[in-house]
Amino acid sequence: MITIMTMTWKELLRKRVLVLTLLMTAVFLLAFWFVADTLGYRNMGVFNRSGDIDLIEQFTRGAFILMLGFFFGGFVLAFLAIFSSFSAIAGEAEQGVMQAMLPRPIPRWKWFAGRWLGFVSLGVGYALVLFVSILAVTSAHAGIPRDPALLLRSFLLFASVVPLIISVSMLGSGFFSALGNGVFMTMLYGAGWLGGMIEKLSGSLDLDAHLMQPLNTITGLMSLAMPADAIQRQMLAELLSFDQLTDFVPLTDNIFSLFAFGNLPSASFMIYTAIYGAGAFASGMLRFQRKDL
Amino acid sequence: MSKAAAIEAVNLTKQYDNGRGCRDVSIRVGKGEAFGFLGPNGAGKSTFVKMLVGLVTPTSGHARLLGEPIGTLAAKRHIGYLPELYRYQEWLSGEEVVRLHAKLCGIQRKVADERVPRLLEEVGLGLRGRDRVKNYSKGMQQRLGLACALVNDPAIVFLDEPSSALDPIGRREVRTILARLKAQGKTIFLNSHLLEDVEALCDRIALLNNGVILRHGSVSEVIHTRTRWLFKVGGLSPLLLEALREATGLPIRLAAGRENAPDSLNGLAPIWMEAELDNEEQAGWMNALIIEQGMTLYEVAKAKERLEEWFVEAVSGLSQRGERA
Repeated sequence: MITIMTMTWKELLRKRVLVLTLLMTAVFLLAFWFVADTLGYRNMGVFNRSGDIDLIEQFTRGAFILMLGFFFGGFVLAFLAIFSSFSAIAGEAEQGVMQAMLPRPIPRWKWFAGRWLGFVSLGVGYALVLFVSILAVTSAHAGIPRDPALLLRSFLLFASVVPLIISVSMLGSGFFSALGNGVFMTMLYGAGWLGGMIEKLSGSLDLDAHLMQPLNTITGLMSLAMPADAIQRQMLAELLSFDQLTDFVPLTDNIFSLFAFGNLPSASFMIYTAIYGAGAFASGMLRFQRKDL
Repeated sequence: MSKAAAIEAVNLTKQYDNGRGCRDVSIRVGKGEAFGFLGPNGAGKSTFVKMLVGLVTPTSGHARLLGEPIGTLAAKRHIGYLPELYRYQEWLSGEEVVRLHAKLCGIQRKVADERVPRLLEEVGLGLRGRDRVKNYSKGMQQRLGLACALVNDPAIVFLDEPSSALDPIGRREVRTILARLKAQGKTIFLNSHLLEDVEALCDRIALLNNGVILRHGSVSEVIHTRTRWLFKVGGLSPLLLEALREATGLPIRLAAGRENAPDSLNGLAPIWMEAELDNEEQAGWMNALIIEQGMTLYEVAKAKERLEEWFVEAVSGLSQRGERA
């Protein structure tokens, strides 16, 4: 399994997937720096009448910058997870790589788990770089939370999108062609994201409950199909201590809702997400075990 | 099942939804034997091999490799496999690919350090093994595939069209390697369209068509080897030809596929005759009769019936496309 995992790392390095991703991330961070600089407290009225820094205003600015940063970061992370793994099985079977490798004395589950670990470990590593970078840029221009436990919980939620998406992607790769799975995964993630977006926006609309019912059902189904966006919302809520600060900081304003919260996923939904990811992983492995190559 | 069998398949069947695959294939290949598996394109040869090496799950039937059920790790430890359609990781160098296979086979690094460069040298890659696979030609990939197949020093080697992309020199090198493997006592299972390779190497063959074995046995058995003799003579006329037939009782005829001049039977130009003879004594007798009749004997040649002719004859008139009504 270690051999397959290191082969996966080598593949992503030699194919320059990571280099290109890091390069584009650097470009994003540079742009994000200027955005944060513009929105940060240096250019805003964050000083109170006595000339001291207004902490609430500073935190509000920081929260907004973080939401912007993670809005992009969530996308990048999801697409890295999709595009690194969407052809893991189908693509290698189509090219004939597996036909040469799998007659070797290695159980198929080890091959699957090794590939999964390789993709996930690199994705989570990249998530850490992105997470720290977004926090560092925001910190240079506004206030950010500094509680280590809170940061750790937020990071784990942020990075958990990687194993979730890779599990689904590898499951799809066992059924569809490489190209078909790439399209399927992009559409699935897009549907989940759109469901979350509609949910956020609908929360700010003053519509009757019975009118909202069909919309809620549709967005709920979309989020059930791909709960990645819901995890991102939960991550931001954790990071910004939504439940504790909502009375002091206007985190439920429409502009914040657009980027971040809307209706936060319930504990049951988070459990569903965990089961969904584990189920996708197990089903993918089972499918691969039985697949004719 | 017998312990002596390297490969033993009993009614091994794979039925795909489109009707292709193979049905009730039963074969037995002894240890150290070279076995040729023949058949037209789409006959189901590769499907059968894929079942044996654990890539495809049989619909029914069973098989064992050196006593181990196919698809198990124990069975896979005995085999080396060169697939027909494959690619290696193009972001690796050839040497890294062979080392990766060595690792997957659990070969210790020290052993791999000695074996990998030697194998690359043997298959004709040498220092090109340091190049990335993406820069390899199809022939080089095939050589690399052979090195990978042999890296674990397998007891059974499955080769699916091992020299189809090679130039004549490469083919001869591969044939030499296979002959050496056979001399070392390895069991070789060869899928090939290059019948001369099969004929030169294999002890026994089987012919598959539309997923079913048509014939199997030793090479000489299945092609019913008869010796065809060719005689280049001058002065042959229809009368003399008839006299030869009567004297020998053999179906002597003008040689097919030879460039006989249109007016050669009037005795002006040399002409090729052919006859199927049981032994060399009969050939000597024919020579004497030709001289006795006053003809000139320019040349005598022996032409065995080729596997290719047998192959074409065996599948001619049969559907080879596996179509369903």
